[in-house]
Amino acid sequence: MQSPVKIWRNQKNIAALVGKTGAIISWTIVRVPPGDFTDQAPYPVVLIEMEDGKHVTCQMVDYDVSDLSVGQRVITIVRRVTHPDADGVIPYGIKAKPLV
Amino acid sequence: MKLFVTGAATTKFGELWNASPRGLARHAVFEALKDAETPPSSVEALFVGNMLSGMLGGQEHLGAFFAEELGLSIPAFKVEGACASGGLALHNAVNSLLSGQYKTVAVLGIEKMTDHKPEDVATALMGAGSEEERSAGATFPGLYAILARVHMRKFGTTEEDLAAVAVKNHLHASLNPNAQFHNTLTVEQVMKSSRIADPLKLLDCSPISDGAAAVILSTRKTQRGVEISASAVATDTLGLAQRKDITQLAATRNASRKAYAIAGVTEADIDVAEVHDCFTIAEVLAMEDLGFFAKGKAAAAIAQGKTTVGNGKHVVVNPSGGLKGCGHPVGATGVKQIVELVDQLRGIAGKRQVSGARVGLAHNVGGSGATAVVHILKK
Repeated sequence: MQSPVKIWRNQKNIAALVGKTGAIISWTIVRVPPGDFTDQAPYPVVLIEMEDGKHVTCQMVDYDVSDLSVGQRVITIVRRVTHPDADGVIPYGIKAKPLV
Repeated sequence: MKLFVTGAATTKFGELWNASPRGLARHAVFEALKDAETPPSSVEALFVGNMLSGMLGGQEHLGAFFAEELGLSIPAFKVEGACASGGLALHNAVNSLLSGQYKTVAVLGIEKMTDHKPEDVATALMGAGSEEERSAGATFPGLYAILARVHMRKFGTTEEDLAAVAVKNHLHASLNPNAQFHNTLTVEQVMKSSRIADPLKLLDCSPISDGAAAVILSTRKTQRGVEISASAVATDTLGLAQRKDITQLAATRNASRKAYAIAGVTEADIDVAEVHDCFTIAEVLAMEDLGFFAKGKAAAAIAQGKTTVGNGKHVVVNPSGGLKGCGHPVGATGVKQIVELVDQLRGIAGKRQVSGARVGLAHNVGGSGATAVVHILKK
């Protein structure tokens, strides 16, 4: 269940994570997704170490299969996470794309 | 004060479309009471371990719900800790006896999962993870796949090593009448099964299951009672990204060290262990973090059969078939592990009996290692 209030409250957390670079520590390809993600599967989920030492788990987009490797450098971007529900608020979040 | 498991029982685990949660609970608790040779009226409180009844079934308030079903108007509590809900319910029951509040209590672990679509179950299970992991579209197979890849890279663990865990646990399950699966597997079959979250494949994953398990705990020793020597819990961050080191589950390490100290034993004293193999990599991590093998050495040892029934003198792991072979109705698992240990320590486990078993360990994990519960039982 999506809450517009919760989405609004989390916006500042998302803003703080955008445009950060880091490198992949580990990754997987989710082929059997949760219900809200069925139209996106299969998709990679990566664990990244950011340059400030923090770790983040997020989805990877705009990638080639050869980008799925430990040490691959990535940058965080804002993307739609899943479908809006009946309230119509679009849930945005952080994803990663390869840094070229 | 000494505490004893005086009665223990499980339902069959599996896809039980004809069975309701009420029916499963009644079966497990009344069989456990029969086993304890004590009437329902002797039970002073009920502890229920369950994770998903609210999210999947729309039913909360499980303490009163199951007390009603058992015909008992006693204090009753639901304890939730993701897939460690059963172990946590037992820990709370133990504490209630140690406090002197009660002398005899029942612990019920139960989950009904196959009434629902797999993607709905996957969404509900992700309630055990972090918000960040849910936004990433991660699943539990996905999170354990991330742990597996780190382990493989650091220690040279192979996909075939992981497959050997499923092969062993299906062999054990084939000897357990209550297990979900009775088919044995080969490494090749595991390797060829469909990919779920690379590098984990379908046969690396425990199934979606229905089932219930119950134990009766008492401060009074009975002839067939098995002593609970230690009950310990540790927690860690919900999300993998917030941990310093993901080559281990620190909560498993911390809970087990606490349990060994309370029971006055070391890992070398454990004859039989039921550990949380929700995925094959999870059993490898458990073997190392519980102290049975040095870091990076467990996978090869499991593949060589060192933890298989009939192995001689080393600890036997997951004689019930584990979560992989016996099934994983999440709230029931932690209690089922205790039922298996009680059978093993009483020497009534049939074809899967670990000969001469005197000390048993149960290891139950919630999420990707955010909760770990360890119990040690003695004959």
